[in-house]
Amino acid sequence: MAEDLVLDTAIRDWVLVPLSVVMVLIGVLRYFVAKLMRSFQPPDRKALKEGQVVLRARNLKAGANFIPAKSFRVRRFYFTNEENGLLHVPKDQAQNAQAQMFSDPNMAMDMMKKNLSMIIPQTLTFAWVNFFFSGFVAAKIPFPLTQRFRSMLQNGIDLSTVDVSYVSSRSWYFLNLFGLRGLFSLILGEENAQDDTQRMMQMGGFGFDPTKSLSAEKDSLDIVQHEWVLPKMEQRAEEVLRKLVK
Amino acid sequence: MAVLEDGRASEKRSGDDGDDMPIFNAENLQSNMKSIYYSRTFLSIIGGVVAGIWGFTGLMGFIFYFLIMATASLGFVAKAKFSTHKYFDCRNRILMDGFLGGLMSFVLFWTFAYDIVHIF
Repeated sequence: MAEDLVLDTAIRDWVLVPLSVVMVLIGVLRYFVAKLMRSFQPPDRKALKEGQVVLRARNLKAGANFIPAKSFRVRRFYFTNEENGLLHVPKDQAQNAQAQMFSDPNMAMDMMKKNLSMIIPQTLTFAWVNFFFSGFVAAKIPFPLTQRFRSMLQNGIDLSTVDVSYVSSRSWYFLNLFGLRGLFSLILGEENAQDDTQRMMQMGGFGFDPTKSLSAEKDSLDIVQHEWVLPKMEQRAEEVLRKLVK
Repeated sequence: MAVLEDGRASEKRSGDDGDDMPIFNAENLQSNMKSIYYSRTFLSIIGGVVAGIWGFTGLMGFIFYFLIMATASLGFVAKAKFSTHKYFDCRNRILMDGFLGGLMSFVLFWTFAYDIVHIF
């Protein structure tokens, strides 16, 4: 079946374009609402301290090869020392921090707000599309797909002889959902580059877990091998300076 | 043909290749990656519209997309004056980053333009 269906211009005017426009506008609206609703939470002192310690440990790891071996060892000892090293957390404190984080009302509220602001517009738009725009062919995708996609793409159309390239508006909705991500990242700046699908993927891992990250840093510091990459530094500096002076 | 618009403001030097070990300024590296991402996204959108208007169907459209991405990579490498190690830590990044992310936008705008021009 390779005949071209002639589709009404009204479909283009009243289905394709409004759906895309609505999705773009909803995305913009969501961005601004999220920005307004972002409650300012004074940073937790303990969490901040731990974050800074982790940062220092990471800097040490990154620059380990540029300081003499002895200085590196001294610094590493300061961090990973068993008795009072900064990265060493006694076992009983570990459990405590996690329980505290779960019961922290502010953090729970924030997560819920974020989730809701993601899911609600999507659900609403999907319901709207299904209610108003079902039962007709909405668009033709310019590349052919196999028969197996038929049930997914042509849900409202009950003719089985129509080419799979002719899709219903539900699939146009999904196409828009994925394709407009790039557009949003361009027009809304970098913050909004993530959207629902990425956040849903991130939901698996929980947020900031201080004790685990500390012990992870400690382990990674322990395994760093020191390799002094600036041997004969003085001679090299001398050469460079001589060249400059000439 | 789509104009290869260089949407990048400034190419920042992120690697200082002294003698043996390159050091990378993380912030500049990230800024460079971001400009590549923006350029690719923009190009895939424009490429999608062009492919739709020209009436590419099926495989030709995807070939066109890969062609555009390859041209973009070439453009990036040329802008970095062929010494990508000064600006990026790994050569693959400049070539492969944002490849698949742009595909969805390309398909969306390709479908849109194709339908508006050819079917309706």
